[in-house]
Amino acid sequence: MIEVDGLTKRYRTRVAVEDVSFTVPPGRVTGFLGPNGSGKTTTMRCVLGLTRPTAGTATVLGVPYRQLDVPMRRVGALVDPRARHPGRTAYAHLLALAQSNGLPASRVDDVVDLVGLGAVAHERVRGFSLGMGQRLGIAAALLGDPEVLLLDEPVNGLDPEGIRWVRGLLRDLAVEGRTVLVSSHLMSEMEDTADHLVVLGRGRLLADVAMADLLGRGASVRVRSPRAPVLAAALHRAGAAVSPQPDGALRVDGLSAAAVGDVAFAAGVPVHELATVTASLEAAYLALTGEDVEYRAGAA
Amino acid sequence: MRVGPAAVLRSEWTKLRTLRSTWWCTAVYLLVVGAFAWLAAATTHSAPTADAAVGVVLTGFAFGQVVLVVLGVLAVTAESATGMALASLVAVPRRTRLLAAKTAVVAGWAALTTALLVAACVLAARTLVAVPGGVSLTDPGVLRPAGLQVAGAVLVTVLAAGLGAVLRSTAGALGVGLALVIVAPPALALAGGRLASLLSRAMPALRVGEDAFLAVPTGWPMGLAVAGAWAAAAWVAGAVLLERRDV
Repeated sequence: MIEVDGLTKRYRTRVAVEDVSFTVPPGRVTGFLGPNGSGKTTTMRCVLGLTRPTAGTATVLGVPYRQLDVPMRRVGALVDPRARHPGRTAYAHLLALAQSNGLPASRVDDVVDLVGLGAVAHERVRGFSLGMGQRLGIAAALLGDPEVLLLDEPVNGLDPEGIRWVRGLLRDLAVEGRTVLVSSHLMSEMEDTADHLVVLGRGRLLADVAMADLLGRGASVRVRSPRAPVLAAALHRAGAAVSPQPDGALRVDGLSAAAVGDVAFAAGVPVHELATVTASLEAAYLALTGEDVEYRAGAA
Repeated sequence: MRVGPAAVLRSEWTKLRTLRSTWWCTAVYLLVVGAFAWLAAATTHSAPTADAAVGVVLTGFAFGQVVLVVLGVLAVTAESATGMALASLVAVPRRTRLLAAKTAVVAGWAALTTALLVAACVLAARTLVAVPGGVSLTDPGVLRPAGLQVAGAVLVTVLAAGLGAVLRSTAGALGVGLALVIVAPPALALAGGRLASLLSRAMPALRVGEDAFLAVPTGWPMGLAVAGAWAAAAWVAGAVLLERRDV
């Protein structure tokens, strides 16, 4: 369980996070979405006690992170793939972290194998690719077999196989009843992974919704009839917004597919095609964040 | 399940011993101080007293201690100047405990290597320098400079670690550390005048046994107190800033 309440972080010249509140319950993958610079990393660092909030609180398992005695047994975190000393080997890096929390050295071997770094465990981290750095960070997060996981952009830099592996891992961890918060700036990375989304834009909370609701929100009905003008008029009277499509079909907003069928039947209009069209997640996400992108390419 | 300070100490020892820089620094320290001691002992045929003989062979520490500044600074900035600090503070969010363990380990390493070197120096004086009555290991005139050398090494390392925590950059902390212990004390001594001489004595100058190296001479109790005050002030400032800063 992660609880963020009224969290605000101001730097001298800008506001990174403003009055953000949300709760991450166990047993599901919560996606933490937002464009670059929207405050995801700042929020996660506040939760981990790395950054001190200007106002508000952030707790993990009911207490501020900095009060946890053996944090790695409770909470695993991937903050940054560069959170390591380049001159140390992967094994030495993980061993030092494990020892600081009284974890046995055997856990290092376990996680090294789990993330697939077995072959390079005794090489200096300096030569690691971004993807290998991510795997090392995920290994560190899993060292203490924690019940809460916070992963900041874990698939950034991973190859397709690695991305699929992380998705599976996150799903498995959530199914085991753990709390999983995973951030990303790409909606497509969340599509098959997250059950719930917390969306930030310019440091403010834009949405805290179930994935299914977000998909339903942008849904419309597509209907095709040889007597389209009659049907459009009938739907309009029923209170729907109707817009003709280039291919002759009608797009109906505000009525379910069943209701559209009923209206057509009552009007005695034949229907050749009737379907619910869900907006793509990408479109739903862009609709949410469109006005809140901090860095945007200038219009020509 | 609680994990005590011993776990953090063990972790910090792993961090120290798994960086090449630690072993380079140690090798240079042993080589510089050891070579000077042997050279000094071999070219000194006789000395009037045991403490005079020991004072001569310890000369190498004047230069060798510079390595301790590097070692102490790097122990801290190896984390703050790389991303490692993030990983360390997520693992050990009690920051003062982390810095204390880190400092204890590096200062302990400095104490151990210095003690070995001092023993080697005394041995060199005993075998190569002719002293009436010989160089006895139980002579207070031998034990005092030996103990002071180890204490001085610990204080220089703690001062360096504290500076690393305050400044967070390797270059910055090294610059300030070396200025304080090896540049400013002799420079102020050379400048002359009452104020400069007072300031020179207030600097944490490197010491060879009982004596300040190239700086305005001060007795060893004063030298120890001044170095101790600098080390304590730098370390406490580092701990306070570490607690308060965002990473």
